[in-house]
Amino acid sequence: MGNCCSDAGGRMAAVGGTAATGNQNDAVDLYLKSRGIHGIFSQIELSFSATDLRDRDVFSKSDPMLVVYIKERDGSVTEVFRTEVVLNSLNPTWITKYTITFHFEAVQNLLFHVFDVDTQFQNVEVKMLKLEEQQSLGEASCALSEIVTKPNRLLTLDLVRRVESVSSTHSQHRGKLTVHAEECFSSKTTAEITLSCLDVESKDLFSKSDPFLVISKLVESGISIPVCKTEVLKNDHNPTWKPVFLNIQQVGSKDSPLVIECFNFNSNGKHDLIGKVQKSLEDLEKLHSVKEGENLFLPTLVGHDYENKILKSKLFVDKFSETIQHTFLDYLAGGFELNFMVAIDFTASNGNPRLPDSLHYIDPSGRQNAYQKAIYEVGEVLQFYDSDKCFPAWGFGARPIDGPVSHCFNLNGSSNNCMVEGIRGIMMAYTSALFNVSLAGPTLFGHVINRAALIASQSLANEAQKYFVLLIITDGVVTDLQETKDALVKASDLPLSILIVGVGGADFKEMEILDADKGERLESSSGRVASRDIVQFVSFRDVQGGEISVVQALLAELPTQFLTYMRSRDIKPCS
Amino acid sequence: METKSRTLEITILSAEDLRTGNTPVKKNAFVVVSIDAFNSKETKIDGEGGSYPSWNDKLVMEMPVQTRFITLQVKYCKGSSSGGEKLVGVARIPVTDFIGGYSPETCLQYLSYRLRDAKGLKNGIINVSLRLKEPLRDCSSQAASAGGIGLGIPIDGPTDFGVVTGIPICSAYPPNAFFR
Repeated sequence: MGNCCSDAGGRMAAVGGTAATGNQNDAVDLYLKSRGIHGIFSQIELSFSATDLRDRDVFSKSDPMLVVYIKERDGSVTEVFRTEVVLNSLNPTWITKYTITFHFEAVQNLLFHVFDVDTQFQNVEVKMLKLEEQQSLGEASCALSEIVTKPNRLLTLDLVRRVESVSSTHSQHRGKLTVHAEECFSSKTTAEITLSCLDVESKDLFSKSDPFLVISKLVESGISIPVCKTEVLKNDHNPTWKPVFLNIQQVGSKDSPLVIECFNFNSNGKHDLIGKVQKSLEDLEKLHSVKEGENLFLPTLVGHDYENKILKSKLFVDKFSETIQHTFLDYLAGGFELNFMVAIDFTASNGNPRLPDSLHYIDPSGRQNAYQKAIYEVGEVLQFYDSDKCFPAWGFGARPIDGPVSHCFNLNGSSNNCMVEGIRGIMMAYTSALFNVSLAGPTLFGHVINRAALIASQSLANEAQKYFVLLIITDGVVTDLQETKDALVKASDLPLSILIVGVGGADFKEMEILDADKGERLESSSGRVASRDIVQFVSFRDVQGGEISVVQALLAELPTQFLTYMRSRDIKPCS
Repeated sequence: METKSRTLEITILSAEDLRTGNTPVKKNAFVVVSIDAFNSKETKIDGEGGSYPSWNDKLVMEMPVQTRFITLQVKYCKGSSSGGEKLVGVARIPVTDFIGGYSPETCLQYLSYRLRDAKGLKNGIINVSLRLKEPLRDCSSQAASAGGIGLGIPIDGPTDFGVVTGIPICSAYPPNAFFR
């Protein structure tokens, strides 16, 4: 994911709101529209809650977390999303929402699995939790279309022990899971709001409260859906929280009613409500301009009815600003160029190109080999965004006719010019290179990454408005992982993204370390850490078949990586 | 008139996963940026960030051309302001990481480094952004050659000037103590 800097850890962290870079992948949308695939897909946001969960912990209630998997046609499941962990609750409502593209023509089978996160992992970030170490509270599954077609778009499923087991007589009551679907419209306007409170009441016995806010929107049916929560401020009765970012259309509109509740954090999960206000974004903006506070109220039981007791605590809006979040396409439309570069693996592990079982075998009948398929399918998607359709192309891991092993040689055979024209140019250079080099090894990416970084840095020095994407197609696992990490860390501050596509049947588990999404930030041997995640790894056999998924897998991280670079430097698109 | 130093604008952004011993730092972390023993500045104290403090504090310092490293020390105050400070971790930024590297020197660069505590063990990450105020041609050529700083982008890639960052090995600790 783009920016690697993380905030407060553990369960006291802020959750929800709008991601700094927005949810919709408009790069994918534009590519599909260009192929004539209009409007037969839409972005859906799923929110989750559960009731009546089993109690797994001895001294307290379970700490549930939901994991969503997609069930492929062949029966395999892939994890796609995790919610946050809710402390100590058997009836949790999770705030983090899952955005999924709904394809009208495909059956998308989802598997939901609720886990109880062990207390020893209280301070571990959600993405680092190992699911094998947690206890299962139940599973449920359904097709995405089932949720979307229900009235109110609300579907309640029974949680069972194992979804595949047919024995229905085993009514192991594990509670229910409710999934709510909403279509998301990404608006470009995001409101940045800094909230503070004066005189928060003390709910703890010997110390001040530990307040945090939960902002929820009210939907037509009357239910309130939490949109985001701030971080917890310890022991503070005049708290000022870090700013929250709300996408205007995520909450409905500027005058949709929002409920802002102030809770006192308790590590056992039972947070006491201190007070609340009901305001729309427009009201909050007014509060900011007149610099006045709004008293919190607390619904208190008086006799048989609830009365709103007005408290002396006041909510203030210290800052309210609306910013236009430019999208990836805004930059491209404004003149930013995407430039692609390709590097192909010529190591001996691919097999002798003259033998039919080699990944580099050129079939006289014209059938494409794994590399040609990858170059063609990936190239088609990427070249759509390249302005001049002329790319540098290199090979690595081979010995050119008269020379030592090179880890970065020009694919077109030229000694001073590395450019080829179009996908056709790459294919031609590839086939001719195959007969002019002898495959060798080892598999090293450092040289091509450095070459790409050099091109990106020269463009920076010339103040050109360019962003570079290096595509590395490889069959195997990298030989010197540290060398690759060093090269990546050095290049992490450049306008460069690196897309690694693995072909063939190798186990690419080790390569996933390079993609910071799945683990920690990359660290070089000299102690420098990558400033941002610039790598995306895709295993080609996992995405083959199904045009849409190839595009999604490849372009999944590119807009985020691009936008993080632009926004951190305050570079705006030229209009 | 020779310019023997350049203006460095360094913004200390944030730090992650700071610990003392095995417990996360509770609050009041701050950073001391030193170019040499007499040239150092401190950031403000972050009272709320805990073990993930953020400062976004911009410091402007004069950096002599023969500087090799910029040292960042993350410390925290115990209790009241006179209660004494404790060192959490240190990182050293080799000047070659931002001069003569991939990005132009006057361009804003974002860098992050691994912090190591007094015993040499890993203790968090620090994130900074920096840039040099003046481009190299404002300095005299004599000063430039004295520092061995190159102009422009080398053909083969950024050349290292033989700057090495060493991590002390403490033989008193078991071999797996360095890997967290």
